Amino acid sequence: MKSSDSTPRVVLLTLTVIVGVIALGFVPQFELFGMPIRSIDILSDLRDSAADEPVEYEADIERLEQELASMVVRDTVAVVDSLPVLPPVRYEWIEGEVRTEARVKPRSEMLRSVAESRSVAIENFDTLQVTRFDNLVEKLASGEDVRIAFMGDSFVEGDILTSDLRSELQRLFGGRGVGFVACDIPFKTVRRTVKRSSSGWSAYSVMKPKSVPENLSDKFFISGYLARGGAGATTTWSTTDAFPTLDSCTRARVLLYSRDTSTVELRINDTIPHSFVVAGDDRLRELYVEAQNIGSVGVKVVDGEILCYGVSLEGDSGVVVDNFSVRSNNGHAIFGTGAAINRQADDMLGYDLVVLQYGLNIMQKGQRGYTNYRKQLCNMITYAERCFPNAAILVLGVSDRWVKSDETGAYESIGSADALTSYQRAAADSTNVMFWNTYEAMRALGGMPQFVANGWAAGDHTHINFAGGRRIAKALVAAIVEPVYELLKEREEEQRRIEEQRQRVLEAQRRQQMQLELSLEATRGLLEGVDLASIDSLGQGGEEIATDTATIDDVESGEDGIEEVALNIESEK
Amino acid sequence: MTEFFKFDDALWQRVVALLEYDPLSPLTLTTGFFLFAFLIFGIGYLMVRGRATLRTLYVVLFSLYFYYKLSGIYVLLLLFVAASDFLIGRLVYGCRERGRRGRGWVALSVVINVAILTYFKATDFFVDVVNNLYGSGTLNWESVVVPAGVSFFVFQSIAYVVDISRGEIKPLNRLSSYLFLLSFFPKMFLGPLVKAKDFIPQIEADGVSVTKADVGRAVSLVAGGMVKYAVIAKALGLLFVAPAFAGELGDGGFVALMAIYGFTLQIYCDFSGYSDIAQGVALMLGFRLPDNFNAPYHSATITEFWRRWHVSLSTWLKEYLYISLGGNRRGSFRTYLNLFLTMLLGGLWHGVGMTFIAWGVLHGVALALHKIWMRIVPGAKALGGDMSPLRRTFATIFTFNLVAFGWLLFTAEDMSVVGDMLSRIANNFSTADIWATIEANGVAFGLMALGYLLHALPRRADEALRRGVERVGFVGQCVVMVVAIWLVMQCGMLLAAETGAAAGLPMYAAF
Repeated sequence: MKSSDSTPRVVLLTLTVIVGVIALGFVPQFELFGMPIRSIDILSDLRDSAADEPVEYEADIERLEQELASMVVRDTVAVVDSLPVLPPVRYEWIEGEVRTEARVKPRSEMLRSVAESRSVAIENFDTLQVTRFDNLVEKLASGEDVRIAFMGDSFVEGDILTSDLRSELQRLFGGRGVGFVACDIPFKTVRRTVKRSSSGWSAYSVMKPKSVPENLSDKFFISGYLARGGAGATTTWSTTDAFPTLDSCTRARVLLYSRDTSTVELRINDTIPHSFVVAGDDRLRELYVEAQNIGSVGVKVVDGEILCYGVSLEGDSGVVVDNFSVRSNNGHAIFGTGAAINRQADDMLGYDLVVLQYGLNIMQKGQRGYTNYRKQLCNMITYAERCFPNAAILVLGVSDRWVKSDETGAYESIGSADALTSYQRAAADSTNVMFWNTYEAMRALGGMPQFVANGWAAGDHTHINFAGGRRIAKALVAAIVEPVYELLKEREEEQRRIEEQRQRVLEAQRRQQMQLELSLEATRGLLEGVDLASIDSLGQGGEEIATDTATIDDVESGEDGIEEVALNIESEK
Repeated sequence: MTEFFKFDDALWQRVVALLEYDPLSPLTLTTGFFLFAFLIFGIGYLMVRGRATLRTLYVVLFSLYFYYKLSGIYVLLLLFVAASDFLIGRLVYGCRERGRRGRGWVALSVVINVAILTYFKATDFFVDVVNNLYGSGTLNWESVVVPAGVSFFVFQSIAYVVDISRGEIKPLNRLSSYLFLLSFFPKMFLGPLVKAKDFIPQIEADGVSVTKADVGRAVSLVAGGMVKYAVIAKALGLLFVAPAFAGELGDGGFVALMAIYGFTLQIYCDFSGYSDIAQGVALMLGFRLPDNFNAPYHSATITEFWRRWHVSLSTWLKEYLYISLGGNRRGSFRTYLNLFLTMLLGGLWHGVGMTFIAWGVLHGVALALHKIWMRIVPGAKALGGDMSPLRRTFATIFTFNLVAFGWLLFTAEDMSVVGDMLSRIANNFSTADIWATIEANGVAFGLMALGYLLHALPRRADEALRRGVERVGFVGQCVVMVVAIWLVMQCGMLLAAETGAAAGLPMYAAF
């Protein structure tokens, strides 16, 4: 039946259909009955973006727990038989005499104007009696050291927003230095708060796991970047004077991982070198330098091979804010970081607050449902909680964003920021952490159009710039400071009340003593003045004496009262 | 798009990467990859189609690659099953030649195939039971992943050996022909199961015959199947049925009831849609696969349902399980028992668990009861076509709800979900919810209405539609295909954006 064979027709049909589908790909996106009709691209798998597209991590709580568990077991073993002796976690180098700065003891007066400028408050969904946020507020109020990890996407890249958050908190609560800075990143970035020059490293990003050697895949820290270097690899970080507290610092901590023994040289201010022999170990370690006026830190691998995460530049007390921005990360990259590395970093650095700022990359025009993202966010929060068990977690809602309308070409609201915000809040609510509504804070400042008009955001109506970041940072600082201010005010009020009461009691005591003396005087006078001539008035005088005796009793009981008040004061202290 | 396409080394690398097995994007007949692969395959097919041996080898190689892109290393399992039953088939035939029945060889084939099935389907259950009895961790076994469509080629293979022992067919002379029977890519992992007797002549024919009308019919099958499978079933499942079962749409009775009806439509559209595509693609190459579905929810009795639903499987169960158990030749009690056992095993085949057992028991008991009913009620009819219209309507509604209840058992994660859904319908049904639910799930309800409406159309309308596509000519058929593909891609992107879900496999690939 060769004559009726239409097989060529089938092949031709397939070819025509392919051409047709490719041609349809040139139809731009449009809307039909309010539903977005997207551009199709049947060749998408062959395009550059597909290969470069970061892998979507899934939360693997089981792996997380395993990694954390194996970490604990290791430590216990080391304690039990104490052999072999574990190499130290920290290698110290104290250069010269370091004058410690006086710790800032905040007073409500200093915080009042900031606190009163608060527009959007932090919503705390924590159900503990004393929430982790309470602990943070307490630490800030009593002037203790506080460390904040600010995890975000390109919104805070280059230290936008975080630089002002840091500067403002350090102004109010003390502290110096820019915090964590990565060692090397596989693409060019600029941070005006710190300079970095590096060479000789292989740099990896958690967002491109396909390019990461397998044995390094569980070694990522939440910074998201990893630099592997052998002898000769070097990086120098230098401070800048973009902000008053950043020009110099007194501590530098280089975070690294050295499976086998290696020799690493540190150099501060380009002059004094110091060599460390880092014994091989399967843990995160730090090279710790303390010196007056650190302006630059250089690290150089002399021998062996290390993974270098970066440096933390800090003062000797106060607040440290680490910027962990990873471009085009929806937050899921945390699932690709090593739980054990994160926990070891936490043991080392001690985070009190972890901020999660994500969502800009998943927001779609007009999309109102984000159930999947909510679930993913809950897992991110769980991850952060397990890795940083003492930290309060603060979820920042997505920022305002406007997009070009297809019909008019004018910018219009993306129409989904409020929806995504509510899903993010729901995630914070169900996981009992904190939430701050960035969208609302931006709207209080006029919204995205106003940001663009004021020159606070780029023309794309999506990314804010430093000026915009400063406004949002101030609003966030106000939200954090407000409860600190309230706490301090309450305490100072209480102090004042107690002081006043003490004064009142002392006053009463003094008055009663005086009265007592006066009445004794009077009685004495009376008794001295008794003579035959005034016998008539004796009865009257007797009554007066009785009255006076009562006054003396009063005074005595009054003294009891004073003791009682004193006891109260003791107990209130 | 500043530059349409960049031709560079990286492009080459991406092409190579695409050709490799990727567990995250298994190959199915509705992927873009298949469209391109089919074009390249088709060009080669043009050259070899006239010569049976070459054609068979060519199609087998492509089919094996297809299965590798679908299931990776398990292509070796497919080869093993083919080789073992090809040999056993010849040995059984040898016995028959000498006048013996070769029962031992048949038993060996069944044991091997059932062992494979049991390993993939029951290991997890067994490990669970042991760990529950003796404490978790007693058996430390990685969860077993069922290779896509394993039961389809295993069933196909058992049937071949049994057919030989029954003398219905002669064994094939070439392993490549047997591999073709087992692995022909359109039907390989989701059926329909073919009768070796009908299919082998097609494999061995000198030339292939594809008429113009065949192409038109194939286009209508593929395009219609794609809309059913990749638009209606996928969207309905992801947007409504799955969240409704998960309790994300509230605990109202109306939602629960609609979730059950929704799943009833979803599983039909998913399975029959994909079967239609398989039939269409096979037809484009000149191979005729049997119909697997025939408007199953038109059935007026449960007996009729099993003649319209997954016909190739129910035929298989009848011929190789029911008849092997003795069928209806051993008295009425054994007939009922055999019906019951067949359906129970049919249920168990879907997965070892209470819900599948309950599903099998429901159908087994219903079939047996219907047989008894037919015997004791005078004038009872087995098929809707023989009933009066009024009677047929009531019977159809009753059967539909019985089947839908069966699907609830089938899809529920465990029996507590069944109880929960039923109690929601019984105790929490509020008419006030109805409009709100429909309004909040407009797309899903629209698709459900469309799906049931299309299914309610008489077969004539269906045929008219098919003939329409045959008549619109080459350009019209291209447009039909492009529109269908565009719809599938739109739907895929919408679902990815709304739910984050990837395309995935047809539901029945898991069984």
